[in-house]
Amino acid sequence: MSTTIPIGPFHPVLEEPEYITLEVDGERVLSADIDLGRNHRGMELLAQEKTYDQDTFLVERICGICSASHSWAASRAVEDVVGCEVPARARYLRTIVHELERLHSHMLWVGLGGHIIGYWTVFMWGWKYREPILDALEMITGNRQHYAWYRPGGVRRDVPDEIWPKVLKILDEFDEKVDLLTGAVLDDPVILGRLKGVGILTKEDAIAYGALGPTARGSGVDIDLRRDEPYGAYAEVDWNVITQDGCDCLAVAVIRLLEMKESVKIVKQCIEKLPGGPIDAGIREVPRGEGIGHIEAPRGETFHFIRSNGTNMPERHKMRAPTYNNIPTFRPRVKGETITDALLCFAIIDPCYSCTERMTVLDPSGRITYGPGELLRLSHEKTEEIRRNS
Amino acid sequence: MSKEVLERLKTKFGDRVDVVERSARRAYVTVANEDWIPVTRYMHEEEKGRLCTATGSDRPTGVELLYHFGIDRDGTIVNIRTILAKPFPRIESLAKYYPAADFIEREIFDFLGVEFDGHPDPRKLLSSHDRPADFHPMRRDE
Repeated sequence: MSTTIPIGPFHPVLEEPEYITLEVDGERVLSADIDLGRNHRGMELLAQEKTYDQDTFLVERICGICSASHSWAASRAVEDVVGCEVPARARYLRTIVHELERLHSHMLWVGLGGHIIGYWTVFMWGWKYREPILDALEMITGNRQHYAWYRPGGVRRDVPDEIWPKVLKILDEFDEKVDLLTGAVLDDPVILGRLKGVGILTKEDAIAYGALGPTARGSGVDIDLRRDEPYGAYAEVDWNVITQDGCDCLAVAVIRLLEMKESVKIVKQCIEKLPGGPIDAGIREVPRGEGIGHIEAPRGETFHFIRSNGTNMPERHKMRAPTYNNIPTFRPRVKGETITDALLCFAIIDPCYSCTERMTVLDPSGRITYGPGELLRLSHEKTEEIRRNS
Repeated sequence: MSKEVLERLKTKFGDRVDVVERSARRAYVTVANEDWIPVTRYMHEEEKGRLCTATGSDRPTGVELLYHFGIDRDGTIVNIRTILAKPFPRIESLAKYYPAADFIEREIFDFLGVEFDGHPDPRKLLSSHDRPADFHPMRRDE
């Protein structure tokens, strides 16, 4: 007889609460159902009542971790309607902030991944090494999060040259820590035991479900907008798209670790090549028309569509975050896995993590058999067991 | 630009597709309701277009569906558009052929009241479960 397991939906710290129902037979997951919308904020309607400049502040608040992604994508959508060229200095400054955001987002994920499998050192290291990146972002933009940095046509503020040596120093130190962490994680037989072969998402499923970002690249789908539709300064610096063919949780984790090295390379080159000149194209009027702006956020493509009716407010502003496409990939990934690994299969797409701790297992009469703490404990116990046997 | 993609689309569907190239990387294609599934399936299955997402909007002429297909190999987006008659917009679902359309079609059903025939899971996606079934917040009906 199958049992139903509800996961979620609420937690005060969640940006994207989801309610997931797992149907399990004993330990094995048979199917998963996903129910969204617990925190729907009506931003698409709200954006229609804000000016284009105000919209960038609004869309930043879609996500606290990738706030630069949304405001950049929205700005690109307006620029697509207007058909303007962004000045070179603004393109470089935009790229620097965006790649620093990728660094702190991936490092946050590495830390939380460590927490879920019971590797406290990885958790502590990950979050400790992430802090200087936030300091660098604060130096450049004035804020650790919600940078208010992007505007249609360019960036809002210029940056004095004397901060770059400090940012470069932070990056050098961060680069060493990434090497240390990557080595420690990839050489650890216990972590490999927990991640390898767990949560398979085949290439065919990744394409069929429209997976994005590291989730898609971990299944061998070679897509990255930074290369495919070069924007910002990505075409002018040297870097590589990281893909893996493992299709499992390990492949996605490896991609995030290796992408951090590439991001450090990109930021360093951007600082070195940073041109002078204006930082804003000075858009005064947005004509009638339709425009699309999409960029490669840490979790995948962030997509914004804007229809302008010639006023200073959009007639329609469609926004789509990458997690929207990645969440359904949880269904094929978790099928056939154990309850212990379900937590990891969900976490690997890098949704807002805390909801995975809200997992509860009920028996058919509705009695709670596993609370959130027990599920995390199960996950930690599996790691311990592998550690003892290795 | 995906000039070859657009040429192949025109060759296959002739004057049933109205193609407008807005810029080097963006094209908009308008089709009639009956050509909706053949064209969108062709974009995914033959041209390997990736459904980035879809935009539904209530316009004076009806409810507009705009499916954004990213052609990643040349970094362009081909947008397929159709207009559905109000007050009861209805069209065949793409989700039964292409799971990536599942969530977004549920969202458009939820907010604009578009019925997707043959959708594998025709439930609301985002709004609360106690919201009246005939109220769609993004409709601009009088």
